[in-house]
Amino acid sequence: MFLTFAILALAGALALLLQKNAIEAGLCMALSFLGVSGLFVLLGNPVAAALQIIVYAGAILILVLFVIMLLNSHEEEPAEVSRPIQRWGSVALVAVLGLGAFRLLNGSPALAELAAKPVTGASTNLHSLGDMLFSQHLLGFEVAGFLLLAAMIGAVALVKKNL
Amino acid sequence: METLASLLHTSPATAWMAVKVLMAFGLIMGIAPPLTWAERRGSAMIQDRIGPNRAALFGKIRILGLVQALADGVKFFFKEDLVPPHANKRLFWLAPLLAFVPAMLGFAVIPMGRSFLSGGTEYHLSLLDPGNGMGMLFPMAVGAMAVYGILVAAWSSNNKWAILGGMRASAQMVSYEVGLSLAVIAIFMVTGGYDPHEIVKAQQGTFLGVLPNWYVFRQPFGFLVFFVCMFAEANRLPFDFAEGESEIVAGFHIEYGSMKFALIGLAEYGHILGASALITTMYLGGWGIPFVADHGQIPVIVTFLVFLTKVIALCLVFIWVRWTLPRFRYDQLMNLGWKKLLPISMANLLYFAYRMRG
Amino acid sequence: MGVLVKKVELTWWERLYVVSVAIGMGVTFKHFIKQLLTPTSKRYTIQYPDMKKEMPKGYRGLHELKRFEDGAIKCVACFMCQEACPARCISIEAEEFSELNFTQGFEEKRPATFKIDMLRCIFCGMCEEACPKDAIWLRDNYELAAYDRLSMNFGKWDLINTYAEPDGKARLTQAEESPMTPSRRTVAL
Repeated sequence: MFLTFAILALAGALALLLQKNAIEAGLCMALSFLGVSGLFVLLGNPVAAALQIIVYAGAILILVLFVIMLLNSHEEEPAEVSRPIQRWGSVALVAVLGLGAFRLLNGSPALAELAAKPVTGASTNLHSLGDMLFSQHLLGFEVAGFLLLAAMIGAVALVKKNL
Repeated sequence: METLASLLHTSPATAWMAVKVLMAFGLIMGIAPPLTWAERRGSAMIQDRIGPNRAALFGKIRILGLVQALADGVKFFFKEDLVPPHANKRLFWLAPLLAFVPAMLGFAVIPMGRSFLSGGTEYHLSLLDPGNGMGMLFPMAVGAMAVYGILVAAWSSNNKWAILGGMRASAQMVSYEVGLSLAVIAIFMVTGGYDPHEIVKAQQGTFLGVLPNWYVFRQPFGFLVFFVCMFAEANRLPFDFAEGESEIVAGFHIEYGSMKFALIGLAEYGHILGASALITTMYLGGWGIPFVADHGQIPVIVTFLVFLTKVIALCLVFIWVRWTLPRFRYDQLMNLGWKKLLPISMANLLYFAYRMRG
Repeated sequence: MGVLVKKVELTWWERLYVVSVAIGMGVTFKHFIKQLLTPTSKRYTIQYPDMKKEMPKGYRGLHELKRFEDGAIKCVACFMCQEACPARCISIEAEEFSELNFTQGFEEKRPATFKIDMLRCIFCGMCEEACPKDAIWLRDNYELAAYDRLSMNFGKWDLINTYAEPDGKARLTQAEESPMTPSRRTVAL
């Protein structure tokens, strides 16, 4: 089960990078989102899985695809010159970052805890999520909300000619 | 249940799951074709016409044209399966599936009848048992995925009308999802849970002494928003912006023919069914019989029939509305979604949040 | 001339949509019930092969060559209709009639062939007007279709025998015409 979803997510992400066509790349991204939400379910957090699909796959990605279709650029732009240094540099960077992330994850106490005591039947639901958001993570929640509000106001201000 | 399980040489849980899957699938596949018939005959009656009544079994048995759906199915199978040369072949094949699968999946959490005890275990009439943590979020997530079918169909056809239709539909669906979610959250709050079983349980009994204790009566504005948004989500008139005979011909499925078109059409009716089931569960008391507070003694089959009656009645309302209202203009649609429905549902949410203050 | 389209301002009541929609749904529901309760024969739709439209008086459909009661053809092959026909679809060949012991004692001519090309005919009724013997009538049969051109060329036999019942439409000018038309009975043999 884990393998299925993990492969789904990784294959989607890889295809997203390798795909030349913007829309197909977007669809691959949706596939990878589905894989990730499957992983969330396996981790005992169906709420996150549902939100992942509703928000990311269902709304944000749709808007992105919408914009791509609006711009309607069917032909792919080939790279002007090949940049070998940048290419190998990016590969090295990815390798270093990946290694770092792996080390970080492996060393995290949460993983150790998970390894010692796998997920039991009690899964996260909206209640516990809400409790957590409005007690332990209240500051983060509010700041995020404030940031989104600011972004929205900024977008409106950018678009509107005369305020 | 045990006898069935022993007959199939499996555990009762597996047997019950098989029964449920068969039931849910049979329900959708069994209701969708008659719905096409109801749509055509109903629209004909509304417009003082007669509608299809010629198709007959063995050239004799007409049954009011019900066989028309069968004839159409056979016809779709035998038509040439044409893929336009400039279409993106892979996505063109994928799109009908993407449209069809979410329409089917939405049913998974809807309880279709009373849970019952048999041999010490409790059996539920929904594919996913309660307490899965997904609850009502699942149909919403699946509903959010439904746009992909339209979008992919539109884009892969490589046809400007199709793209226009797909774009309009996707913008519309994303816009209406906002109002929809806020209306749903009000229900979650009042129920104190988001599992469909809990929501149905919370709607039993009477309200104000004379009305069934349904959320339609307790949250009329929330219901209004949800109902309208469901039309938008199911891509039904007056919100079927994926199509538009006058401007963009058939819209997103303009290049589709034969069985792929049939699948897209079936998906539309699947969406209607799913939307009806959702509205029934959220606002019309699900499988609950009106005014009855305790369903412990009522046979399971009765609750199932009650659920079915409500769903089919709602489907007919969907058809009825389609043949009454013309399509909105695009700016009117956005206006309605953002400037009317969203504030209404937000006010609805705030009102119930205020009433719940501790 | 341009037409000034007045923009309809909705009142706030109409802008709520809900009420207007409810009224509209009431209208469609009324139609639904009405149509449902109307028996098939009284609905607007005429289900063609099973039911046929009652054609109005004076409808000009397929021609009939009239006969006397004893079966003799009324047409005397005078070519008036052929001359009058604007579409030139009638072609007649006359023949001399000699069987005196049978019926038409005093008439010398009758059509040997009387063909109307229904593909050319425009059903204007000029032949009917022109006929001095009232022998050609345009009646109410409008079901003229065939699989080939040849069978749209109606001959004498077709034109005489297509209509089963002898009288289709009431003659609009019957009152004036009847004294002039020689009835078969008045002629003594």
